[in-house]
Amino acid sequence: MRTFIAGLAFAASIVSAALPAGAAETANIWVRADGSNFMPRIVDAFNKGHENQIKLDIIPNAEIIPKYGAAAAGGTAPDALSLDLIYTPAFSAAGQLEDITDWAKSLPYFESLSPAHVKTGSYKGRIYGLPFSADSSVLIWNKKLFKQAGLDPEKGPTNWAEIEAAAEKVNALGGDIKGFYFSGNCGGCNIFTFTPLIWASGGDILTEDGSKATLDSPQLRGAIDLYRSMIKKDLVPQGAQTDTGSNFFAAFATGNIGITPSGAFAIGALNTQYPDIDYGVTFLPGKDGGWSSFAGGDNFIVTKGTTKIAVVKEFLDFAYSLEGQTILAKYGSLPVRGDIAKEALKDLDPRYQIAAEAMAKGRTPYTVVFNDLINSANGPWTQMVNEVFFGDDVDGSIANAQETMQSIIDSAQQ
Amino acid sequence: MAQARKHSSRIGLRIAEHSTGMIVSALFLAPIVWTVLSTFKPAQEARQPPLPPWPTTGFSVENYATLNTFGDGLWLPAQNSMYVALMTMLLSVVVSVLAGYGFSRFRFPLKNLLFVIILSTIMIPFQSILTPIFLVLTKIGLHNTLTGLVCVYVTLQLPFSIFMMRNAFDAVPREIEEAARMDGANNITMLVRVMLPLVWPGIVTIALFAFLGAWNEFLAALVLMTDQSKFTLPIMMTALQSGRFGAIDWGAVQAGVTVMMVPCLVLFLLLQRFYIRGLMAGAVK
Amino acid sequence: MSEGLSACAGYKPGMSANSTLSRRRKLVGAGPRQWVGLLYVAPAVALVIVFFIVPLGMTVWMSLHNWPLMGAHSFIGLDNYWAILRDNRFWNALRFTGFYTVVVTIAIFAVAFPLALFIERPRPLTGFYRTFFFMPVVVGFASASLLWSWLLNVDSGLFSPAAFALGLTEKKVNLLATFQPAFWSIIAMVVWKVAGFTMIILMTGLQSIPPELQEAATIDGAGPLARFRAITLPLMRRTIALALILSVAGSVLAFDQFYIILRGGPRNQTLTAVYWIFNQSFVSFKLGYGAALSMVLLVILLVLSLIQLRLLRKPEGLD
Repeated sequence: MRTFIAGLAFAASIVSAALPAGAAETANIWVRADGSNFMPRIVDAFNKGHENQIKLDIIPNAEIIPKYGAAAAGGTAPDALSLDLIYTPAFSAAGQLEDITDWAKSLPYFESLSPAHVKTGSYKGRIYGLPFSADSSVLIWNKKLFKQAGLDPEKGPTNWAEIEAAAEKVNALGGDIKGFYFSGNCGGCNIFTFTPLIWASGGDILTEDGSKATLDSPQLRGAIDLYRSMIKKDLVPQGAQTDTGSNFFAAFATGNIGITPSGAFAIGALNTQYPDIDYGVTFLPGKDGGWSSFAGGDNFIVTKGTTKIAVVKEFLDFAYSLEGQTILAKYGSLPVRGDIAKEALKDLDPRYQIAAEAMAKGRTPYTVVFNDLINSANGPWTQMVNEVFFGDDVDGSIANAQETMQSIIDSAQQ
Repeated sequence: MAQARKHSSRIGLRIAEHSTGMIVSALFLAPIVWTVLSTFKPAQEARQPPLPPWPTTGFSVENYATLNTFGDGLWLPAQNSMYVALMTMLLSVVVSVLAGYGFSRFRFPLKNLLFVIILSTIMIPFQSILTPIFLVLTKIGLHNTLTGLVCVYVTLQLPFSIFMMRNAFDAVPREIEEAARMDGANNITMLVRVMLPLVWPGIVTIALFAFLGAWNEFLAALVLMTDQSKFTLPIMMTALQSGRFGAIDWGAVQAGVTVMMVPCLVLFLLLQRFYIRGLMAGAVK
Repeated sequence: MSEGLSACAGYKPGMSANSTLSRRRKLVGAGPRQWVGLLYVAPAVALVIVFFIVPLGMTVWMSLHNWPLMGAHSFIGLDNYWAILRDNRFWNALRFTGFYTVVVTIAIFAVAFPLALFIERPRPLTGFYRTFFFMPVVVGFASASLLWSWLLNVDSGLFSPAAFALGLTEKKVNLLATFQPAFWSIIAMVVWKVAGFTMIILMTGLQSIPPELQEAATIDGAGPLARFRAITLPLMRRTIALALILSVAGSVLAFDQFYIILRGGPRNQTLTAVYWIFNQSFVSFKLGYGAALSMVLLVILLVLSLIQLRLLRKPEGLD
């Protein structure tokens, strides 16, 4: 007996010595605060079932970039991080990320990973970022207010005229109730929710490869007119003009707003924090029908030269499994794998299905200067949005923005 | 007659003084009072304008509960913050008292230059030297340590603290020093037993502000610490406050502000008594 | 020890601290004692060198490069500085920052000085007043900015709905939508937050004025204003210098409130210098350029501080 056990132990030791990097390793991953709900849970589930471990750090959204820059300079960058997908082109162009093209393409389900994420995660034909979490933009309406206003509470607007008409009816209820809400001083919010209106009508603000700004289009002007008209008719609360995004969700959550463009995250947030609000979810429509959506969320990127790439790949594999995607969906993100999305969402609020469908057809503008152009509170997009909705010189604002955006794009082409 | 008139004008003056005091106090307090009261409102009511400021639909502590749900809860960051703030306070006092004394009472070459250099620490936007500071800390092995953070905070406090202590020492009449020297006091005794009691209000002030500065500081704590386990309270608060797409959870903001305020107020109340002039005059006499 | 302290009893009214000092100085004088002074300031100097001068040097180094947030950097000499000369938005931001600094410094002192005088004299309830005036200081700047961002919100805040409910305005006014109300709201917020801090500094300065001087002057028939001008202000030179330099430095480097509450709005009219640096460094990822801008700000502030120190020095020299 003794010899048998000794023999087993001996055999085991040989086997484990023969395994490449058999010792359990720990990789360090950062996630931005937006992922603070699902990320710890996925990491926990992974750590329970695997030898290799993940150490997770949650970083406040606005500071993750400075912190990453400092860490990269000091040699203490995390092995991988989950970051707003719009940063991936810039990071890739800076040579900061590990090329994971071959591994990505080897995944059997590669084709069903969110196309918008993968496209944003590619640079010059190579893949540097893969989808991790997803959020698509949708239109939500308050069913109770619709009913009170004499509208069918189960039917959301399907084109621009219907949006305006419905908003007017709800607004007529008076008091603190307003028909429509949007954040008027927020670039990110509007690229998320306003641009799809343009896309759905056949227009775009940038060319496919991001080399030219194509702001001035009839679709853009049409969409601007829609918003301007609603503002003029006093269908939008005053605070919208100066809202930098802090009320993007909270306004609808007060229960006083009829319709607002928002994101899939609102579904979870409303269900858990504001269960008294009865709401419907539909797509952001084009002028005469059709619909589009902004594919947002995080890309998973790997710091170049990390020694823990095996652990990272193992983790990503787990995240893409049905178990991983179900956890993701349950705690605030949409699934990023199209082929098992329905499966992962099956036990959840059916409204998620709409958001998932929107995600599948979602688009993300591609540019290495996304931050400068769009997100920056003082950049051309934000300035234009605020000026054309609430100011008087629409033509001038559009022309100004077009020129500034093009010059930023041009000076980045190096 | 004259007495009575003087007496009544005295009372009139008192009333005027106190009314002014009350009104100004109310102005200063109002935002804080509104905030604290709002933290006890249940979610539905909290979303409406805070008129009236007190909860009308029921008392609720759910905002405070939210604070504890993030990451590993509040207790660990609170400990980190307390450690960092207290150490910054102690170290700032020690270093600044010594330096203030040196600048005030001695003449040595480069004195003015060194003083201006120390002062210039606060004249650059902190974000600009944050990455270099991170690199320095990494080189000396103090990155991701609370001690490293304390060193950075103390350095940031030095301009104010040293200037303050220098002023305080300057205000001590030389006669006292001369007399003590004639009694045979050496430098250390001089400093500790003669000067310290006389500059106590200054010391209290720099201790208080060092604590406040370290307690509330956010950016350095975030960038210089890598481990979540070393994060301080302000970082937790910030992460809590911002939701998706910058949507702010106002309840969490208000609760967070209230919680962070409490230790600072306690400290201020404890240290207040050193500001009473009577104490000062007595010591001098 | 008591002998030393009782020497103060020989302190004659009317004898100014200055004349005593200059007489004594000739006796005390320089000598072997001076190097000991260096020992006393050594710890402070060491900290400043390691955690400020060295990083500052690295920042200067960065400013001479094209240094993106990530990726490789290249040496470009003074190109960043030439680019600053052409950077109109920076100069606009600087102009606005200057305007803001002047206004807010005056406002802070206009509030803090009377408050300091008010609480300096012991009277019933002074402790309360002191606490109440000081409370806003205790809240962090970023938190305070968030708070006021809530209070100033036109729909769910305090000021606009309150004014509307009280009938002071026809409809709810959005204070943040146009420049003047937005600017003055920020001024109000900063004064609210900082006045207590300045007040405490000024108060410690007031407390170090020997009461005998004030009493003697009163006996001589000087009224409060005369006493203020002849005794209080001059003896508070150093304290005022401290409060002023801190206030000016803080205002020139203002960022949090403009970022959190206004995002540089309305329409980029409240972009401050540091906000611009922040944008360049962390939104456009151009750390080298941001470093160069920071150096420019540093030089400006140093010059301003030296001017202030010079103007507020004691008559017999910078000592």
